[in-house]
Amino acid sequence: MSIYEVMFILDPDLAKEGQEKVFTRLNTQVAKKGGEIFRMDNQGIRSLSYRINKKPRGRYFLCYIEGPGNMVSEIERTMKIDENIMRFIVIRMDKDHSRQDFEIIEENDSKETPEAPVAPEAPVAPEAPVAPEAPVAPETSGKEE
Amino acid sequence: MQPRKPRNPRYKPYYKRKVCRFCEDKTATIDYKQPEILRSFISERGKILPRRVTGTCSRHQRKLTLEIKRARMMALLPFSVHS
Repeated sequence: MSIYEVMFILDPDLAKEGQEKVFTRLNTQVAKKGGEIFRMDNQGIRSLSYRINKKPRGRYFLCYIEGPGNMVSEIERTMKIDENIMRFIVIRMDKDHSRQDFEIIEENDSKETPEAPVAPEAPVAPEAPVAPEAPVAPETSGKEE
Repeated sequence: MQPRKPRNPRYKPYYKRKVCRFCEDKTATIDYKQPEILRSFISERGKILPRRVTGTCSRHQRKLTLEIKRARMMALLPFSVHS
């Protein structure tokens, strides 16, 4: 079991139901292989550096999945087929990372880059006591790769 | 060690030794999700700058190129900038 970071760009014109469809399929696929999605972030609609499928914008999602290796090829296969997913990337995280690391890194990230209109996370960010976590950051970042 | 001879100004212009930004600042992470940091290591055209220009150490340059390429794939950075 490893932790994978999956980022994908959805069609910004896709309706809510379409998005749900993508998520539920991803969920069932991961669950079937005995994995678990433990973090899912909607980073909102961002402008792309170059046009993909003649579209200048995309809706970014970032999720962290823990699961076996054969789960990845399955996810990649279906993501390639899906027309609503404009781009995706799957990255295996370092072995010595635990789930908590990503939660912390995640919070720091959203604080450093507030340009993304994170719809569901926005109310959480100001409340979160980030101050005590700050000194932890250098240790975790040093371990990375 | 022998004392160094005075430098002949006609050869080799003196330059300040650059230090790797990521060795200096351990908290700075190289991550494709933070394209703002990566942006200072690419040219105006979108090319990855060489080590001799930016002064990054080989280890961090390797990581940097990987993350820049990931950022390009996810359209966070451009592959090329046309004038």
